[in-house]
Amino acid sequence: MRAKLGSLLLLVVLIACWEAACRWLAISVLILPPPSAVVTVLASEVMSGRLWPHLATTGAEMALGLAAGTVLGLGGGIFLAEWGALRRLLQPYILASQLVPKLALGPLFIIWFGFGLTPAIVITALICFFPLLENTLTGLTHIDPAKRELFRMLGATRLQTLLRLKLPSALPVMLAGFRVAVVLALVGAVVGEFVGGRLGLGASIIAAQSTMDTPLIFALFAVITALGLVVYQAASLIERVLLARYPKG
Amino acid sequence: MSTEAAFLDIRRVDFGYGGEPVLRGINWRLPRGQIHCLVGRSGCGKTSLLKLAAGLLAPDAGDIRLGGQPLAGPSGAIGFMFQSPVLLEWLSVLDNVLLPVSLKRSPTAEDRSEARALLERLGLEALTTRRPSQLSGGQQARAALARALVLRPPLLLLDEPFAALDAMTREELQDEMLALCARQDTSALFVTHDIAEAIYLGDKVALIERGRIVDEIDVNLPRPRRQALRDEPAFTALSRRLRIAMDAVR
Repeated sequence: MRAKLGSLLLLVVLIACWEAACRWLAISVLILPPPSAVVTVLASEVMSGRLWPHLATTGAEMALGLAAGTVLGLGGGIFLAEWGALRRLLQPYILASQLVPKLALGPLFIIWFGFGLTPAIVITALICFFPLLENTLTGLTHIDPAKRELFRMLGATRLQTLLRLKLPSALPVMLAGFRVAVVLALVGAVVGEFVGGRLGLGASIIAAQSTMDTPLIFALFAVITALGLVVYQAASLIERVLLARYPKG
Repeated sequence: MSTEAAFLDIRRVDFGYGGEPVLRGINWRLPRGQIHCLVGRSGCGKTSLLKLAAGLLAPDAGDIRLGGQPLAGPSGAIGFMFQSPVLLEWLSVLDNVLLPVSLKRSPTAEDRSEARALLERLGLEALTTRRPSQLSGGQQARAALARALVLRPPLLLLDEPFAALDAMTREELQDEMLALCARQDTSALFVTHDIAEAIYLGDKVALIERGRIVDEIDVNLPRPRRQALRDEPAFTALSRRLRIAMDAVR
């Protein structure tokens, strides 16, 4: 609680310094707008309702991209963990898929999927499937050998071993991957909109840049950061609920 | 050789690991209701022999029979206790004990009361809803013992299950194990490197050295065993006899 209060106090001090610097040094609003200008723009965006469709678009891209990435990452991780031959066959390709800069795929995705939500969703899914795949694979292949022996001793089937031993054992690691994926999903959605979006927070930043509306860019930063904090907290909450039965630490 | 019908019958078993022979020409007969201990130094092959008896490993030569039938892989007829408790940390103590049941069928009310009764006999009745991480080492070992016995297996295999416990707790668990085995008419093969533990628990002790059974000692001490037995001359004599046998093969 004290630490949280301290963090909040630091934020207030930093914003005050920023405001003061802008006024005393007479910095152009085009370069660095003072916080008061940012707040004014943000308030007008919220009040006029201009912000909501963009927020909804980015949120939808995040949610759909994250859902697709989660299904791919979890499913792929389980498949690769259960079939070692498949893992050895596909590992270089999975790594390669992560080494391709995803942003560079944007123009290609626009040719393939057109403008609109789809390219951003695909980029988001591509970015956030990897930590889930990697963590699922790691979690499922690092099971305590004594527990595996216990399940063999109890005559458990392969499916029972997966469902009753491997997945519960790997759950904490998998959820840590999910937390990373949630943060990356926001990056994916915003970056995806830079390339091909007409709606969305990322697309709005590009639009604000073309009119040199620096205060609006800062206002959008604030919205994106707030969105990120909310989804991160949501992911942490899911993690806490699902891991309530596990020992701490 | 015992004239009683062997329940677990190990005949001329050889076993190797990666070309290295681990066990050679093992013959052993465990009659129904008896407890036999396997004693030897680390790496002598005693754990491998236990895993062969469990069906977790397959012998290179020879055969192993359980109740007259050839052993074909792990089965519910055998309870196993590992060196560590190996409890699933996301399940309650009761669900851990019921794991052998729930992997076969949905546990019935009868299964649950059986598990609760076992836990009660081991003094864990107040802890059934706790997680394993909330238990002491001795309580975890008791939960593991209850899990090994919940299906009332005719054979219990134990691999130094109490080695990590303090002396007092270990003695309590030895007595609890003996009482439960007697009650359920369970035969047991118990691996240990502790001479006193082997004599206290066993009807017979096998000394294993470099993959062979080099000595057998019949322990003709009365049952039920009491901890006071450890101070009696007969117990001390048997312990000395086993100690000398172990030193002789060094």
